[in-house]
Amino acid sequence: MIVTKELDLLDIQGNVLRVYGRFRYPVARYVFLNLRDSAKGRAFVGAVTGRVTTSANWGPGPDQVPQPDWTVNIAFTYQGLKELELPRTSLIGFSPEFVAGMKGRKDILGDDGPSSPQYWDPIWRENRETREQDVHVFISLNAHTKGLLEDGYAWLKGVIEATQGGVVLLSGHLGDNHAVMDYQDGQAVMENGQPSAKEHFGYTDGIGDPVFEGLPRGSASVLGRGKQMADGSWAPLAVGEFLLGHIDEAQEYPPAPNPILLSRNGTYMVYRKLHENVGTFNAYLDEHAKHFPGGKELLAAKFVGRWRDNGAPLVKAPDQASKAAFDAQLAAADPQGQDALLSSFTYDDDMSGGRCPFSAHIRRINPRASLEFTRDPTDVPGSLKVSKDAFDTPGALTNRRRILRRGLPYGEVKDPTRDDGNHGIIIMILNVDINRQFEFVQQQWINYGNDFKAANDKEILLGNHSADERFASKAVIQVDPNGDDPPYFLSKIPRLVETRGGDYFFVPSMTALRMIAKGLVDPT
Amino acid sequence: MSNIAGKAYAMNVITPVRPYLVWVNKVIFWAALKLPSTLKGLITLSLIHYARWVIIGKNQFPHLAPEQPKEDLSYCYMLFFSNFNGSWDQYVDSFTFAIPSGLDMFWKWNIRYPKSVALTPFHKYIQYNQIETLHYYNGYPLATSNDVKSASAVRDALIAFDQTADQGTDAEFIKRYHTLLRGLQHDLGDMYPTPIVSMAAYQVEKRTRWHASQLSALTADRVQQS
Repeated sequence: MIVTKELDLLDIQGNVLRVYGRFRYPVARYVFLNLRDSAKGRAFVGAVTGRVTTSANWGPGPDQVPQPDWTVNIAFTYQGLKELELPRTSLIGFSPEFVAGMKGRKDILGDDGPSSPQYWDPIWRENRETREQDVHVFISLNAHTKGLLEDGYAWLKGVIEATQGGVVLLSGHLGDNHAVMDYQDGQAVMENGQPSAKEHFGYTDGIGDPVFEGLPRGSASVLGRGKQMADGSWAPLAVGEFLLGHIDEAQEYPPAPNPILLSRNGTYMVYRKLHENVGTFNAYLDEHAKHFPGGKELLAAKFVGRWRDNGAPLVKAPDQASKAAFDAQLAAADPQGQDALLSSFTYDDDMSGGRCPFSAHIRRINPRASLEFTRDPTDVPGSLKVSKDAFDTPGALTNRRRILRRGLPYGEVKDPTRDDGNHGIIIMILNVDINRQFEFVQQQWINYGNDFKAANDKEILLGNHSADERFASKAVIQVDPNGDDPPYFLSKIPRLVETRGGDYFFVPSMTALRMIAKGLVDPT
Repeated sequence: MSNIAGKAYAMNVITPVRPYLVWVNKVIFWAALKLPSTLKGLITLSLIHYARWVIIGKNQFPHLAPEQPKEDLSYCYMLFFSNFNGSWDQYVDSFTFAIPSGLDMFWKWNIRYPKSVALTPFHKYIQYNQIETLHYYNGYPLATSNDVKSASAVRDALIAFDQTADQGTDAEFIKRYHTLLRGLQHDLGDMYPTPIVSMAAYQVEKRTRWHASQLSALTADRVQQS
């Protein structure tokens, strides 16, 4: 593949381009701050900026940038940028949903019932209520070990103390046994003493992050992770879907605040704490496993579209026999080959969902080219097919809904039969347009099903399933329309994942951070 | 005023065309109807209930009464009328993502049409030329276009199934029943109210309800006092 674009890696924060978990950073700490004094706040930003981790390549080469023991990244809410005294002409350029914040968008996001803000962790419940409790600044620390994480945290506390009350750490994260913590910790789930890519329901997570132009090492993994072209090939997505100040898939610069130096190489981040109801999940899975013809693990795979143990996609490994063959291939492949095995597939041969159901997690989050589909009355009833060449490109309805996903699980499952332990996921979603990308996926594809010809049926795992009998949630596990089996109905799906807080942040470039710190942002 | 009723959105867009170019548009409409493949993209976008383009000549606007002043129009107009499911953004974006060249073909001859890509100028063009819906009635507010098609498929399949219900053995019955379910596996989604399409529309609805509740409280109060 021809490299068409070179990104300024020293200007882009490291958490934008890197999944830290893949660079031997299995532990993280997320800290949220309130600014009490604008000038001291800017001095604080300056002090932190000097230590912020960029996307620069680590490892050997000229002008080598050594890999740090712990990383630092920083982002701001709209209130935070106001407190830092950005000019009004810059502030009005930020998107309305960023200004409103996650709490203000709860009705769009479907954060209702047990996901309502009244049940969020105290820090998020009290956010955007009073000036003194507003979350202004987000700082993330990722480290190789817990000991090194404490080193990073001690450094951060030192920088906060040096502001002499100008910057205050906000407490209010719920931890083990409902303890109120000063920070939110995240850590990889351990398997046999080693950090794994698992989350608390047992699924392998973090496969298939989008690949866009200029991404270091991106060209090697564009298969299944870029955009699907009419000839079946894959191309990287436009940079402007993930970084402001670059051309996007609509061949324009995405809306962004002025001056361009403030926004270019920056992006928006959605921080979301998602509690996992492990007890309910296990009970529901066990209950349906008694009736589901393919057995428990296949049913668990149907929820997500991937097998739990290694993430094998159902499209490639739809049953136990093909799974065994896939596992053998995976074991024999090098890392690049493994990535292609896990990510490189289309739904072209599974348009009816007999392998990967329409309500499965991965088909809802990233439908690839599967929305270019139609019903042909001459086909076997229950089947759908590719509506070939209907759209300019097969992935037209998907390419502008892609999101970068970062984050780690938090807590530990001590009793797999209970929901009320401290366990879930901190997910951080990066995109240039929160409304067009994250919120759209959350509202239209997770909490609703019309694009999938599924009426109000929701995504199985993350959907905001209702406890109200009148609005009971169900999903259809489709079967091969040419076979003899009936589809399987997942009835009365309980709420498996609950929102526990979060907000929308702006992740500036290094240039923008320096300008903010020096009070030099000026759009004239 | 609302462009939204249940799960449907009504869009009216009226844009000027130079009278001497109207025939080009008419030829394109004619060709599109003759060659259904040109509309394949539009039909594949399953969020659409209905879409229609029509040219209104400069002398074809209704003149309802003698006292209505006569207009002297410089242009003919293209009226685009559509009912669709989801938000304005989702609809307009789906159009530009999926069938930009088709849109350009229909609108290209219209005054100051910016092309459908890039997106922002196209958004502005539609917004500026959109006429708000003053009254909008939806007989089936819970149903999307897909739901209507599914409901009709379920009805037909059930009627056919019912005619064979008492035939054959139990084993044959269950086989037919499984075939019925399999055939309807993309038609059995549950219909519930729509997700909130936009916060602005939602807030209008909340305010309207608040005003209504204030009014009824006031009326109740007066009834009590009298």
